[in-house]
Amino acid sequence: MNDFSELESELKKLRPVQPSENLAARIGCALAEAPASAATAGVLPKLQHFRVNWLSLGVGLTAAAALFLFAHIDGDHLVKQAPATASAPSASSRTNTEKADQLVVSGLSQVVYNTRDEGLLFADDAAQPVRRVRSQTRETLQWRNPGTGASLRVSYPSEEVSLIPVSGQ
Amino acid sequence: MVGGVLIIKDREEVMENVATHEDWKVCFARLAPGLLLFARQWMRSSADAEDVVQEAFVRFWRKQLSIDNRALLYATVRSIALDFIRRDSRRARREVNAFSGSEQSVEPHFEVDDESQQVLHDAVDRLPHEQREVLVMKIWNELTFAEIANVLGISQNTAASRYRYALAALKKNLLPHE
Repeated sequence: MNDFSELESELKKLRPVQPSENLAARIGCALAEAPASAATAGVLPKLQHFRVNWLSLGVGLTAAAALFLFAHIDGDHLVKQAPATASAPSASSRTNTEKADQLVVSGLSQVVYNTRDEGLLFADDAAQPVRRVRSQTRETLQWRNPGTGASLRVSYPSEEVSLIPVSGQ
Repeated sequence: MVGGVLIIKDREEVMENVATHEDWKVCFARLAPGLLLFARQWMRSSADAEDVVQEAFVRFWRKQLSIDNRALLYATVRSIALDFIRRDSRRARREVNAFSGSEQSVEPHFEVDDESQQVLHDAVDRLPHEQREVLVMKIWNELTFAEIANVLGISQNTAASRYRYALAALKKNLLPHE
């Protein structure tokens, strides 16, 4: 860094230009106004609430409900079939049969394929700003039937907005 | 503000004043040139840069934010400047074109006294945006690398590296003129 000390001193001799005279007056006016009416001056976006991707959420919930019904009906079917066998199975063996023929969760993955830093936001009632980070992901749920080897996979896109408190030094 | 040279002196004192709301005009007069220079990196016109500085300063003052968060004021300026660009697609395209061009047309504005300072000014102007951004914060706003890292959301090492690269590039560019 010492190699640059002379250059640094030369740089520091360069003086940034002064702001226009009316800038201070404008700031004075802005500070005198009511905070609520002059908070943004049309420059900053208002703090946005979390936005839910309803399509993704709907698809995901529908798939989950369908899977639940499917697994439930299949389980009932097995329970009803069991007493018809020649020798009545014990409770434990029936449970094992149900387990063997039910879909069980075999995988859950969440792939974040895009993350965007959308800058700082200032909530009116917050003591410190937050950094808004938007993440776009693809979530995949997978179920597998150990008995039959059948599998079901549901994949859907999702979007998540995180507000991370910022603390400077 | 003698001769416009006294810009960032007694920064801690200035920031304490900001924190206690003693006199925003004194604080602003001392900080404004550096803030304006910082904002000019994204804004094509000084009027737009002044709008950004105004918005940042007013927000910072109103929020009574802790001045321990010294980097926060600069982060606010940066954030507002970037939002300003995003809001206007035509402006954004213009800025993108400006940044992607072979010559940087968004200039830090300095008061130049002689030819050697003009050469230095031009050399600073030709720096890659990432390096110039760090240089402006370090040289003319006297932020620490930790604060710069906070403003930009990068590591201190990265901030220091960009600073060194900027100085090395300047030195290399200035060699023929020395």
